Amino acid sequence: MIEVDHLSIRYGPFTAVDDVSFRVESGQILGFLGPNGAGKTTTMRIITGYIPATSGRATVAGYDVFEQPLEAKRRTGYLPEVPPLYPDMTVREYLTFVAKIKGLRSHIRDRVDEVMKRTWVADMADRHCAKLSKGYKQRVGLAQAIIHNPDVLVLDEPTAGLDPRQIIETRQLIRELAGTHTIVLSTHILPEVSQTCQRVVIINKGRVVAVDSPENLTSRMQGASTIFVQADGPVADVQSTLQNLRGVTRVSSADPRTGPATFEVDAEKGVDVRREIASSIVSRGWGLLEMRPLRMSLEDIFLSVITEEPTAPPGAPGAAAGEDQVAEATHA
Amino acid sequence: MRNILAIAGKELRGYFASPIGYVLVGFYALLFGWFFYTLVAFFERQSMQMAMGGQGGSLNINQMLVAPLLMNATVIMLLVFPLITMRTYAEEKRSGTMELLLTSPITDWQIILGKFIGALGLYAAMLAVTVVHMGVLFVFGTPEWKPIATGYLGLLLMGGSFLSLGLFISSLTRNQIVAGMITFSVFLLLWVINWVSSFVGPTAQAVLNTLSVTEHFDDFAKGIIDTKHLVYYLSFIAMGLFLTMKSVDSERWRG
Repeated sequence: MIEVDHLSIRYGPFTAVDDVSFRVESGQILGFLGPNGAGKTTTMRIITGYIPATSGRATVAGYDVFEQPLEAKRRTGYLPEVPPLYPDMTVREYLTFVAKIKGLRSHIRDRVDEVMKRTWVADMADRHCAKLSKGYKQRVGLAQAIIHNPDVLVLDEPTAGLDPRQIIETRQLIRELAGTHTIVLSTHILPEVSQTCQRVVIINKGRVVAVDSPENLTSRMQGASTIFVQADGPVADVQSTLQNLRGVTRVSSADPRTGPATFEVDAEKGVDVRREIASSIVSRGWGLLEMRPLRMSLEDIFLSVITEEPTAPPGAPGAAAGEDQVAEATHA
Repeated sequence: MRNILAIAGKELRGYFASPIGYVLVGFYALLFGWFFYTLVAFFERQSMQMAMGGQGGSLNINQMLVAPLLMNATVIMLLVFPLITMRTYAEEKRSGTMELLLTSPITDWQIILGKFIGALGLYAAMLAVTVVHMGVLFVFGTPEWKPIATGYLGLLLMGGSFLSLGLFISSLTRNQIVAGMITFSVFLLLWVINWVSSFVGPTAQAVLNTLSVTEHFDDFAKGIIDTKHLVYYLSFIAMGLFLTMKSVDSERWRG
């Protein structure tokens, strides 16, 4: 439904987006993840036809956004980072105007009512846009994006500035829309991606550093599993005992704040060392106070992916090494 | 066409949803009314003197009153138009609504023409109020309607020229004050550009006279529709809109 092919955009010597490629299948939600200034907004602006790319192609529903901009735009709904509202218009006037310029010709009134109901702004229909709260502005922006029932929705940080309840409602709405629309959304809130998206594109400094589903990303990055252990015994002895277990690659003392003899034990991929750890500690007469696997959160993955980026190209087998670098950096 | 009208309607509603439209129309009417009053008073005294002097015939009201009145009306345009056009693009860029327009299935031309027609509509509303003054002349005098009609045509054409130029300047910046000041300065320069014509050579004089926006208005105020002047104003408008289009387009590439 959306195909982005070797897209680059340069402003003089500065490369904002560098050879970005990805595709989104019909009905999918793609999450666009990256730190501020990574090129998320720029890429979205290219897809929506707001700015042209220096090189590369982008197609929406089969229409090239540069060659057939009107056809592509007719099928795209776009919520920019700042909802594009006219302060002097009421919500109803605004949505009616947007419906007209998006090419709707008949039943505009009904469609506006329907969309206002769908985005929970019907109670503010006759309020001026300038007087809306941040949450309502964001939702009117969302209403504006879906008014012409586009195939593709491009949402730039749709939940920014909403309160927790509104965030949940908005995510719910986005998931509902996903069946009939193909959605690209950007965010820097990581749980949002795992909760709403089927695919994730991680972008940093204009380059795509990872494309995968959130689950795959988590398991891939978790190549070597880490176990947190707290034992009641002499620190040095416990450490050497753990070190000598089969399948253990590395033992490092965990954050001293969590207790005296606390360790993070890295094991080889696919080897479960928990039984050995437990029995070796107990057989020496020490107490095993705590043992739990450390899951890599999306935050860790995100950090490791963007940290490894200079050394390893996306998807290259150097991923685990990059992860170690991050681990060491956190312990230092 | 529908898209153009949608944009034009949005622009017009924008003017009248805020105090802008009412203030502009209202104070335009005030200034025009003042000019009207002074000219009528002057005309009255002149006629009186002629009657006292015992000379026959009467003064030509079109020549003595309407033409200078319309000339004065163009001065208001000079001062008021920067206020109308300075926000057209600057405001859209600042509030981010430019992103909405440029990602909608409408062409740059439709946006520009829509904005132009919207601004022209506001100007037409300002002129519409002055029809009342002309009505007063018809009630108490016998002016000819044709020179008045050409005068209004001239006002619209001259207004259109200024609006298209103002639109272009507005498209260059996201700062309204900057847009307003540059627009006013360029208008004023075009206004007085032929003041130096008597000091420069005959060729330069002809060029400067051709460039001057006021020079081309005189004939309209006298009731003459000369194709030379029509072409001048129409090509002025076309150039302004064309430059706006190029400016909007280049803005995209610069990001």
